[in-house]
Amino acid sequence: MIRLQNVCKNYGGTPALSNVNLHIGLGEFAFLVGPSGAGKSTLMRLLYREEVPTSGNVLISGVNLNRLSKGQIPLLRRRLGIIFQDFKLLNSQTVFNNVAYVLRALGVDEREVGKRVGSALAVVGLEHKRDSYPTELSGGEQQRVGIARAIVNGPPVLLADEPTGNLDPATSLEIVQLLERISQRGTTVLISTHDQPIVNAMRRRVIALKKGEVVADVDNGYYELEMA
Amino acid sequence: MLRAIRIFNRVCVETLLGLRASGWSNWLVVSILAIALTIFGCVLQVTMTLKNLVNAWGNQIQISAYLAEGADPKKVAHEISRFPEVKQVEIVTKDVAWNEMQHTFKVASIENPLPNTLHVKLSSPDQVEVLAPKLRLMSAIENVRYPLKVAKKINDVRHFLELAGLFVTTALSAATLVVIGNTIHLVIKARHKEIEILSLMGVGHLYIKCPFVFQGAVYGACAAIMASVVLVGLHLYIDPYVKDQLLSLAPALTQNLEYSMGQTAVLMAILGVVVGAGGSLWTSGRYIKI
Repeated sequence: MIRLQNVCKNYGGTPALSNVNLHIGLGEFAFLVGPSGAGKSTLMRLLYREEVPTSGNVLISGVNLNRLSKGQIPLLRRRLGIIFQDFKLLNSQTVFNNVAYVLRALGVDEREVGKRVGSALAVVGLEHKRDSYPTELSGGEQQRVGIARAIVNGPPVLLADEPTGNLDPATSLEIVQLLERISQRGTTVLISTHDQPIVNAMRRRVIALKKGEVVADVDNGYYELEMA
Repeated sequence: MLRAIRIFNRVCVETLLGLRASGWSNWLVVSILAIALTIFGCVLQVTMTLKNLVNAWGNQIQISAYLAEGADPKKVAHEISRFPEVKQVEIVTKDVAWNEMQHTFKVASIENPLPNTLHVKLSSPDQVEVLAPKLRLMSAIENVRYPLKVAKKINDVRHFLELAGLFVTTALSAATLVVIGNTIHLVIKARHKEIEILSLMGVGHLYIKCPFVFQGAVYGACAAIMASVVLVGLHLYIDPYVKDQLLSLAPALTQNLEYSMGQTAVLMAILGVVVGAGGSLWTSGRYIKI
């Protein structure tokens, strides 16, 4: 599903990623761990084609992202769900409208929008908050809205960039467990984090980055500080 | 098809949201653009009216061709009328000319010394120096005379007016582009979160940029309407005065010299929408990185 082949990324001569090789299969759930500056965000940005590698190939569902034209990037992103640390919600819109926002922009029929948004909100357990505004929600609830928006289009891949960075430990665990449940339905989930307790509580695949290199890739793994 | 209509509908909604988000700056942009368009409309009206006046004067310019002894005026006139620069050829026979001269100056009874003459009117006054040498080359024509200095002056004035109009319009359009660009930049800044979400969730570039381009076009259309209203008011107010002045300047000219208000309004609308949409397109291309 996700494959990186000898990927390097430099910023003005400074390497952010060096010779990264990685494969994450369909329906897999993995953590991408490492301290700040390890290259986690760079790798995530390569996956949603916000950046292009200096060398090497990034493939999603067999499509080489290096070869995508500017016009094809939106088509790739429609097959990805992206979750952000800062939620990126529109405070002037209700929960329902936040989740429906992109569907409407894509020209989806209003009845279909209602159905899909209702279903996404049910998955994250926020049906009862559909008419609330983001400012009326807790941090955990706001991140659930972000997750609902990411899954509303039924993407085969979910990328979560530090999704628990702004949340307390208990809420963080709930959010990651929610993402795990989504993964069990066949969605590939990659979570970038440096939240050690959460990673260790889940015991799933752990890919550790250090100074732009993969230093560990372990199933049912732990995030040990010495990795970093 | 239905999907395209729904997307267009959303783009219109986003445009309205953008206009709402811009608040008072909408009025600022429309007012500045309306002022620029009003000046453009005034310049256009004045230059075109003057151009028409200059053209009408120019149309009075004619070349007098004096025919050689024995040349058939009708035959030569027919030949000349085939030149593309010629609008009309009038034959003044030597007898008619002599009679007129005798009547005017009370000349003594001598043998008629005047040649047959052709008065050649031009399709455009700036063609005088093209046609005159052609006429000189004709064997049936002995001499050619025309008011060269007047013709040159008229052409100079016309060219100056065209250049001045072009310069003023370009300068105003550039100033307006900057104002619109700044406003759209502010809107883009205010809506950066929406733009980022749409971009990262796979919405096309066209959808993201279209509302800003539409917003610029709306500014242009509103400004053109305001400018047209102002221009019609000005027109009604100063029209009688201008007509009097034109008549005193050129009493012999009977045609309507004024440039059409309808055409001016249409040109202002086109310029307003093009400048508005163009400025927005340029700004959105510069500041929205997808």
